Amino acid sequence: MTSYCRPAILSPKVQQGESKQSFPHCIKQPCSFPKIPQGRLLKSQRKITMSSKRHSIVPPVSQSGPKPPVQFSSSITISDSALLTGTNLIAISSESVIHPRAKLDSLAGRINIGRRCVVHERSVVGAVGTSGRITEAAVTLGDYVTVEVGASIEAGDTVIGDGTTVGVGAKVGAGAVIGKHCTLTPHTEIAAGEVVPDFTVVYSNGLRRPDRRGIAELKNKGQIRQIDVLRRMIPSNPAKFD
Amino acid sequence: MAAFVPYTYFQCPCSDSSTLAQSSGSNSPSSAHPDPDDGGIDDDSDRAFDPRAPRSNYSLYPLEYLLYCEDCHQIRCPRCVAEEIVTYYCPNCLFEVPSSNLKSEGNRCTRSCFQCPICIGPLAVTSIETKPDPNLLAAPDSASHSGPYALTCSYCNWTSTEVGIKFEKPNSIHAQLAKLRNGGTSRLTAKERKERRKDPAYTSQRAAAGSERESSDWQEDLDLETQFANLKLFYQSQLADPNSADHGLSSLGDLGFSSPSSLSRIMSIYTGGSLHDKKAKSRVGAMREALESDEGLQLADLDESAAISRLRQEGYDGTASTEQLLEQPPNLGEEHLHGRARFTAELRPIPYLLRTKRSKRCPVCRHIISKPEAKMQTTRFRIRLVAGSYIPSIAIRPLSLSGAGGSFSSSSTTTVPGAPLEPLKPAHFLLTFKNPIFETVKVTLGTPARTPGRFASKVTVLCPVFEIGANTDVWDEALKDSSGSDRDGRRRRGKGDEGGGGGSGGGGLTNQIEVGKIWERGRNWVSIVVEVMPASLHLREDEGDLPLREEEDVLEIPMFVRVEWEADVGGDEVGSAAHGRDSKEAREKRELAYWCVLGLGKIRRS
Ligand SMILES: [Zn+2]
Ligand SMILES: [Zn+2]
Ligand SMILES: [Zn+2]
Ligand SMILES: [Zn+2]
Repeated sequence: MTSYCRPAILSPKVQQGESKQSFPHCIKQPCSFPKIPQGRLLKSQRKITMSSKRHSIVPPVSQSGPKPPVQFSSSITISDSALLTGTNLIAISSESVIHPRAKLDSLAGRINIGRRCVVHERSVVGAVGTSGRITEAAVTLGDYVTVEVGASIEAGDTVIGDGTTVGVGAKVGAGAVIGKHCTLTPHTEIAAGEVVPDFTVVYSNGLRRPDRRGIAELKNKGQIRQIDVLRRMIPSNPAKFD
Repeated sequence: MAAFVPYTYFQCPCSDSSTLAQSSGSNSPSSAHPDPDDGGIDDDSDRAFDPRAPRSNYSLYPLEYLLYCEDCHQIRCPRCVAEEIVTYYCPNCLFEVPSSNLKSEGNRCTRSCFQCPICIGPLAVTSIETKPDPNLLAAPDSASHSGPYALTCSYCNWTSTEVGIKFEKPNSIHAQLAKLRNGGTSRLTAKERKERRKDPAYTSQRAAAGSERESSDWQEDLDLETQFANLKLFYQSQLADPNSADHGLSSLGDLGFSSPSSLSRIMSIYTGGSLHDKKAKSRVGAMREALESDEGLQLADLDESAAISRLRQEGYDGTASTEQLLEQPPNLGEEHLHGRARFTAELRPIPYLLRTKRSKRCPVCRHIISKPEAKMQTTRFRIRLVAGSYIPSIAIRPLSLSGAGGSFSSSSTTTVPGAPLEPLKPAHFLLTFKNPIFETVKVTLGTPARTPGRFASKVTVLCPVFEIGANTDVWDEALKDSSGSDRDGRRRRGKGDEGGGGGSGGGGLTNQIEVGKIWERGRNWVSIVVEVMPASLHLREDEGDLPLREEEDVLEIPMFVRVEWEADVGGDEVGSAAHGRDSKEAREKRELAYWCVLGLGKIRRS
């Protein structure tokens, strides 16, 4: 997806049960790895077994609620199964891509999506959070922003800076301001009103570190290439939302 | 609060020193246990098992964790089995590492497998592309990936360029990294070091540096490996030095020790030199210590101002955590101990630790009871004697007596699985024993009437003796059923199998709790009822009662299980082959007895 540097060596992923490699946990925080069997464990030591059942987190796709006014650049790609709802303006700038089933909700204010952004499936931009505040600009995405699958960005003057990636299933609270070229790793949660400086990687339950790769431009280049592909893959139907 | 899930843990006999001593004396199964004729449970009560004793936590295991020795006829747990390593392999590239390599190269992958020092995620080798050239924008794909390479973490975006490490080749990163120090300067080998010393430019620079500090203690910065090598070389030369060897105790050399000088030195250390005259003592001291960095001397750099100022600048977040430091591999061209990495910005990539596949041996008879396939790519086992295929499993289910059907109707409660137990109100649980072996087994259960511990709950096993059918082919049973009159015929109650047809009409609903009767029975399983009267968790803190400890509110009952069955005399055992041929039809009585613990539920706190 966003691999700008092609890995020269692809390390084979271990799949066998016994040699299963750990998920990139953080070693700065206490984490409970399954240890060598130590006999019976107290409740506090027992591993929580996750239900193996797969739940779909997809909200039923139905055009409910009011149809929002839109302001689309002519070069955008938007799937006709994207879900646009709300009462305020939704503006999408040039070459941005809205995947099927992505939800843009302008109920709590205007949604601005910058140039060459990619909003993936099942993500929600402008989710009405607990505050229910209505503001002038609910969510503003800068240029080259990627909102990955299932991520949610709450409404309420929330700003995502240029070149930032909001990881799979991440949550950005209302009024948070994410700087430029940040990476929110999967399932990161940013509290409402938090300010994340430029070039920050938020990982492992909220730890932060600066991104010193200095490859913002390369990343943008990768985004352009990706958009190139997506335009061919996603049938665009902006007329549906007029 | 998460709902309580009933559990069963089995005790391995290794925790009981008396049992282990007996069983190690004899391999006969019956002698490994209290005599079956001693009346059983009551006589055992003096050594009844207390699941809350601190030691118990170390001997109780879920059935899935336990193995079984077919020769000793005994349960074996992960704590008592002897493990042997079958293969070493890298968890990342799945390459097997021969144990000879292991001795020479250590227990880490020496290919290109690395973990992120920040988050331990796997690192990928990526080429560092040069700054985008505007002329190349037209054809971005034409850019070749020949440039320098770096290790990058795709999770936390760490890259080895942060510590100034770049690689020329995308392969054999381990070897390249060993030569690189943080910041990209290459580590000198001993040979290169020597050559550098001959270089006139270097010597003049060295002299200049020495005079700058106005002292002669200028030293080369040695990394740990080099320092160790230098020191080792120096001490070896000292030991071999004839001047230091020839002294008062040389007569001991005739005793035939290979290195008389070292022996005498050791002697003088222990005697403190008091046995010898002054002259000999001074000669013993002739072995000097290292004086130069060539000899392995490194003066401690006690000036920590740089580290302190850096700490001020970077703050706590800039420091490496203990875990991160522990993950750091040692001796990888590291700087001297005093300059050890303390900041996250100094951490180096971690080569993957190798993993092992192990086989397990019985601690008593040394037979292998678990052996994985040696090949890395397969997860199969050649031998795996798991306890689950030898001893009956026990499943626990709360039993709700719906209304008037139960003979104990007053006690009927609507039991939701996982709901807390009401204190002082009888509750019923269904224990389902499932027989994994191909013989009919007789099970005898024993529990103390009151659970051990501060809060003694009353326990009654309503049917402590029963038989479970053999684990025959599932289809046998199915065919038998379909040919029979009633599909529900297998749901027979009580001991009398003939009563099945009539009793099945009402199904499970009208089942009544009767002492000495089985609740339900199937092909290779039997359900029985256990009645408990949970204790009250009332504490009198004014009388000095300690507050509830962790999990003290869980109703756990210790249960002694004795399984008896008849088996063919072990014809596969070595030595008994000839004997077995004669009496092929001979049956042998087998017996297995063990403690287990049933966690039934949490008692509601008053
Ligand atoms: Zn054991
Ligand atoms: Zn490897
Ligand atoms: Zn990392
Ligand atoms: Zn054995």
